[in-house]
Amino acid sequence: MQFLRVVFAVAQKDLRSELRARELLPALAQFVVLALVIANFAFDLDLVSGPRLSPGILWLVLVFAGLVAFGRAFAAEKESGSLEAMLLTPAGPAAIFAGKALASAALLVACEAVLLPAMAVFLGSPISATVVVTVLVATAGMASLGSLFAALAAQTRARDLLLPVLALPIWVPFVVVGGKAVQVAMSGQSLAALPLSSQPLIVMADFDILFLVVASLAARFVLDD
Amino acid sequence: MRSLRSSAPDPNLAHLDTNSLAADRRIRAEDRRLNALTALALASMLAAAGMIFLYAPQDALQGPVQRVFYLHVNSAIAAYVCFAMVVGGGAAYLWKESVRGDRLARAAATVGLVFTTNAFVMGMIWAKPIWNWDPSKTWDARVTSTAVLWVVYAGYLLVRRFATPGRPAMRLAAVVGIVGFVDVPVVHFSVQWWRTLHPGRVIDAPGGPALPPEMLLAFMVTMVAVLLLAGTLVAIRYRIEARRDQLEERAVAAQLELAASHGPR
Repeated sequence: MQFLRVVFAVAQKDLRSELRARELLPALAQFVVLALVIANFAFDLDLVSGPRLSPGILWLVLVFAGLVAFGRAFAAEKESGSLEAMLLTPAGPAAIFAGKALASAALLVACEAVLLPAMAVFLGSPISATVVVTVLVATAGMASLGSLFAALAAQTRARDLLLPVLALPIWVPFVVVGGKAVQVAMSGQSLAALPLSSQPLIVMADFDILFLVVASLAARFVLDD
Repeated sequence: MRSLRSSAPDPNLAHLDTNSLAADRRIRAEDRRLNALTALALASMLAAAGMIFLYAPQDALQGPVQRVFYLHVNSAIAAYVCFAMVVGGGAAYLWKESVRGDRLARAAATVGLVFTTNAFVMGMIWAKPIWNWDPSKTWDARVTSTAVLWVVYAGYLLVRRFATPGRPAMRLAAVVGIVGFVDVPVVHFSVQWWRTLHPGRVIDAPGGPALPPEMLLAFMVTMVAVLLLAGTLVAIRYRIEARRDQLEERAVAAQLELAASHGPR
């Protein structure tokens, strides 16, 4: 209970400061829309290729928006020296880490709330409930690992360089499985047609649990000096 | 002024001593052991080459290019063994603050990267005539997970370079080494279940190895040779890293001594 209270307090603090400063979210929303503009001209999209290339564009934009969202969460703390201050409180490092991961996941979800409708409008992507659920399930796992490596990279000299190098390969499972799920959903098929052993949502939920456990075990070593 | 060369060295700094007769003997013994290990590794690699090119039969379907198999698969195995050492060393550091564990991890990460690269290059040579560079085939489960492995441990070395030297670098690198290793089977299975192609299990195939006994013997000899080579390289890197740590410790000790001799009495 105490653990959860700390988690929510930290997450609330992050979201409140974002709400007051309005720094990250407008920039991320703009980034997402601009990425779609680039995709539009880079792939020369039309009515046929738009929906066909949508799954790939979705994951590319999501992954890079995630890097920015998770990176900023810890970089900002590091710049103001407030991470050390939080670690001096009796709150455990794992709870602080979970709170920050939760807040950055919420930011990425807000980002997705811009991305998915924008894709439907600009690229004509068929966005269904399955696509939304897939993206949300992937966000949970990406947030736990992304925040872990963001916290780690923030303590080095080259955090902006190191975070993509560390996080992108680790996210590959989510892009592989989520990419397949979005492809199936966008081509109008139902995920239920896939065999039970390779149900993307179930497998990704398993990954979420695994990485949540790994990240919360490792958080102590990343945050504690 | 007392110096590190004094005849009665500080017992706490005994391991930094490189000038006394005893230290000289110790270093010479280390040299001999490493030289013997290197000679053994080289001899067994030569024996393996003989087995691969002279003893093992030619593959009926693929021809001579199939002989890449022996080094390709065994390089990958050696790389996995090295990265397992990175995980073990990192865990030893996180658990017991063992600097030796960290040193082993440092040594094994570099060697593991070399063997992963080797497995890749051999794989490309083999894949060119057999798969013909079809992109849908080159990104199968084993290639993808090995590529992820390569990038993760390249990142591991980058973390070491960019983190504050000393304990912070050891701590952060250990986390990267362990979490990265956990990710590899996940990548492997996710690709295997959704898009794949690599040959199935050959050596540990259910119902006995799917290889003629001559090929299996050549494979096993090569495995021993490659693992010996990897072990030798790790031992050499470990020694280099130990020397580097000693040098740093000595610099600190010398500075402390200098400060003490100039400080107030």
